[in-house]
Parts: sequence; structure tokens; C-alpha cells
Amino acid sequence: MFRRIYIHNYRCLENFELPISGKPSTLLIGKNGAGKSTVGKALQLLQRMARGTNRVGDLLSVEDFSQGRIDAPIRFEIEVSIRGMDYAYKLALELPAGFKEMRVAEETLVQNGIAIYERNRAQVSLNKTFTNSEAKFLVDWHLIALPLIQEQSDKDPLSIFKGWLARMLILAPIPSLITGDSKGDSLFPNLEVTNFGEWFSGLLAHSPAAYSHVDKYIRQVMPDFKDIKNPIIAKESRSITVQFQINQATISLPFQKLSDGEKCFFICALLMASNDAYGPVFCFWDEPDNYLSISEVGHFVMQLRRSFDVGGQLLVTSHNSEAIPQFSNENTLLLHRRNHLEPTQVRVVADIEIHGDLVNALIRDDVTP
Amino acid sequence: MNKHRPHVYVLPEDDANRSLANGFLLHPQLDLRSIQVLPNVGGSFKVRDQFESEHVVPMERYKDRNMILLLDFDETSNRHEIIAKVIPSHLRERVFILSIWSEPEDLTRAGLGSLEHVGSKLAEECKNETRETWDHALLRHNRGELDRMIPRIKKILFPN
Repeated sequence: MFRRIYIHNYRCLENFELPISGKPSTLLIGKNGAGKSTVGKALQLLQRMARGTNRVGDLLSVEDFSQGRIDAPIRFEIEVSIRGMDYAYKLALELPAGFKEMRVAEETLVQNGIAIYERNRAQVSLNKTFTNSEAKFLVDWHLIALPLIQEQSDKDPLSIFKGWLARMLILAPIPSLITGDSKGDSLFPNLEVTNFGEWFSGLLAHSPAAYSHVDKYIRQVMPDFKDIKNPIIAKESRSITVQFQINQATISLPFQKLSDGEKCFFICALLMASNDAYGPVFCFWDEPDNYLSISEVGHFVMQLRRSFDVGGQLLVTSHNSEAIPQFSNENTLLLHRRNHLEPTQVRVVADIEIHGDLVNALIRDDVTP
Repeated sequence: MNKHRPHVYVLPEDDANRSLANGFLLHPQLDLRSIQVLPNVGGSFKVRDQFESEHVVPMERYKDRNMILLLDFDETSNRHEIIAKVIPSHLRERVFILSIWSEPEDLTRAGLGSLEHVGSKLAEECKNETRETWDHALLRHNRGELDRMIPRIKKILFPN
């Protein structure tokens, strides 16, 4: 679970701290351009690093500096609690005069107050508490050290932290692009969830019992659901079909023929099953209410919240008047930006004076920090 | 939500009541598909008025529908009677008025925790048919409604 997320000089986020510590589920609200999706992009950047992208230039560009302010570093600082251990990771990136690509200025990973490694520009120091011997070496300063440092074992704190970060689910599904076809398997759905088939295969390979979790939820939202099949259709290729049944009549549909909203039910089912099977995971879902009928939004969001209430952490964004009330003011954060020249501000809605109903106040544009 | 199976609609007065209801829905054993919290209404008497104007006719049509009107009493002893007046006698066994003696925020001020936390505890007590939180000074006036409601609602919300 995140205990702290601090971002500085990255797009509209300046000296920005997201107060989600201790909250199993949190909602981000705010007008278009307030910075909600940028929070997701920052988290995705950390996730991509943990999944192996190590070149700074593949992660960030000059345009990512707030207001083009290249004289100050971009900073990402996170504190995470994993299996009772506290991890703190800090990364600062700079663009010195004459450089075309950013370089790492500072990078540290700390477990329970003791450094696993520290880095200043190219110089990396590994702490001997976590390795066989203290080691100092140089890393190309255009490369992030986190994905590069060799793990000792899967019990290595570096491996635990990196694994947790890599398994974060950052989702902004585009159902029309989701076919259900797959080659191989994965526990890492991509942002648009276009690798749904791989995720489905990976989840069931990792934990076959996860199917019952998926089955249970889908039956609740689609009472005529019978089962899911994922047969081999060509060498190393599979394609998901979904079977429905009413009395003795059945119909089998390719996954891609499902409606956009129905595909979102399956994403929700896989997310909850993943949190159960290889979690607790952190999930950022940008507008999970998209594509859903209005009578389903409330059930859908509350179901998500509830599944993370017993483990993991959920952060969602929404503009939907049916989704927003599924959260309470104490776990709803307002992101606000006066204009494109000023940074994003964040406030817990419970700390803002609101007259009457929150949704109505948002419609009236009466909610400001 | 299947309208032709027993279900419950909650009509909350405001955001604070809604938070209590959210906490209730977060209870892990509650059947989420059998309950729906409707949009806030904006006042105790607006709860009454909206129930009368929008919910009476559908309730007559959908015999499996139950409703909980969730509101503040604002420390007014006759609030229950005033609200109850608009409930037709033939629907009375399916409509329940639950309230906080003053306002929900006082539950937090009284040290019971966040409103969602209180809501979850109230759900747990409904499931277990206990009354520890329900017997708090701000809630104990609901005793009569709970005596009517729990036997009817529990099997819908906690079927297992």
C-alpha cells in the first residue's frame, strides 16, 4: 500500500503530494485538465521502470518538465508498505545545459530506514546489508538503476519492491481494441488492456482457482453467463469465447463481440481475481465508469471498492454523477488547477466547505479548494 | 439489480447519510446486487416528498421492492411521525425510516470513527442481529424500525 506519493516538476504536478496513505480506495475528481490522468501517467512511469524500461529517454522527455522549467529536477518519491516492510524510493532526473536527454541526478531505495542502494549521477553504492559485500559501480547516467541491479533472490528486498511496483495495475481500457486473442500469457495488463487475453491466460496459469472468482462475479452481472473458453486456435495463439445459456439454449460469442460495457465487467472480474491471486496490488483505473449503463455504475464501483477493502489499494478517477457518490467525502480528493500556468492543487473533499450535495456542487462548479 | 427479486433501495438525505450507506455496502458479506443507494435528496422533508412523488407507484408495481429512508432527525421528536404520514398503509411493511437523532457527523464526533466505518459496523450488527452501535444514543430511537426491518431485510442483504 502506498504511504506516500510525491511528484515534483512533472507536467502539472509541482510539489504535489497525494494523500492516500491508509486509504484502501480513493476517488480523484476535478475538472478536465486538473491533473487526474497525469497522476496515472506518473504511476505508469514507475510501473514501466519496474517492468524493465531503463532508459530515461524512453520514459520522459523535455516536454515533461513543468512549464518547461528544465533548471530544476523532476522528482518522484514514493513510500510503500509491502508485507509489513516499509520501502522508500526516490528518483530525481535533470537536464543539464547542452544535454538532449535527461540523466539521473539521484536515486535511492531504502527498506525500513536502511539504504538498499544509493546513487549520485553515475555512481551507485549497494549496501552490504542487502548484498554479499558492499559494492560501488558506475551506471550510465541515462539509465535508471532500479531495473538494472541484479536481484539475489525473490526474497531480496529489491526484488520484492520491484515486483510490487511492476504488478501495479494502471488501467484506462479501450474496449473496442480488446479482442480476447492472445499469444502467451502475462500478469501485466497494459494501459488499454488490449492484452486482456494474455492477462486471462497468465492469471489462470498462475492461479487456476482464480477462475471461480471470475465466474462468481460475471454470473452476478450477467445471469445468463455459462463459462469462458480460451482454446488454442493456431500455434501459440488462443482466442477467448464466452458462452451464455438460457434454459437449454446456448450461444457462444467471441470475446471481441461483447459490448464495451460487458468487456469492462470482465476486466473488473480479472482485476478482483488478480488482487486475490497475486495481490495485494495497487490499481489506478482512469474512469472505470466509462461504457457502463447508469444502473450498473454504482454496483460496479462499490464492488471494486469492496474487493480492495480487504487488501490492496484502489485509486480511481471519475466525472460520473453515479460513480462519485460511491465514495465518501473523506476518501474523495479534489484536484484543481486555476489555469494552465499554475500547478495542480489537491484537497480532501471532507476539508472543503460544500453547500448541499457534492455532485450538484460539482455541476454548479462550486467546488474549489 | 433484478427488480423481480427482493431488493432494497436506500434514499439518503445528504452526503453524510450517503457515507453511512456506503460503509454499509462495503460489508464483505452483503449481496451488493440486492441493494442500491439512490442519489441524495437534500433534506429530511425532501426525502418524504420524493418518496411520495416518485416511489409509491413503483413500489405498488414491484412487490419485492423495499425502501429505507435514511435521514437526520435534527433532534426533533415528531420527525418520524411526519415522514411516516406519507407512507400508504399497504406499503408500510416494506418501508423503513432510519435516522440519526441529530446528524451523522455527530457519530464521528462521538468517537465512533468515520461514517463509512460506522456504516460497516451497523451492517455487521444487522447481519449478526446485535445492537451495540445501534444502541448508541444517536441511533437507539430506531429500535422499533429495526425490529420490523431486520427480519425482512436480513435475508435479502445477507442471503448466506
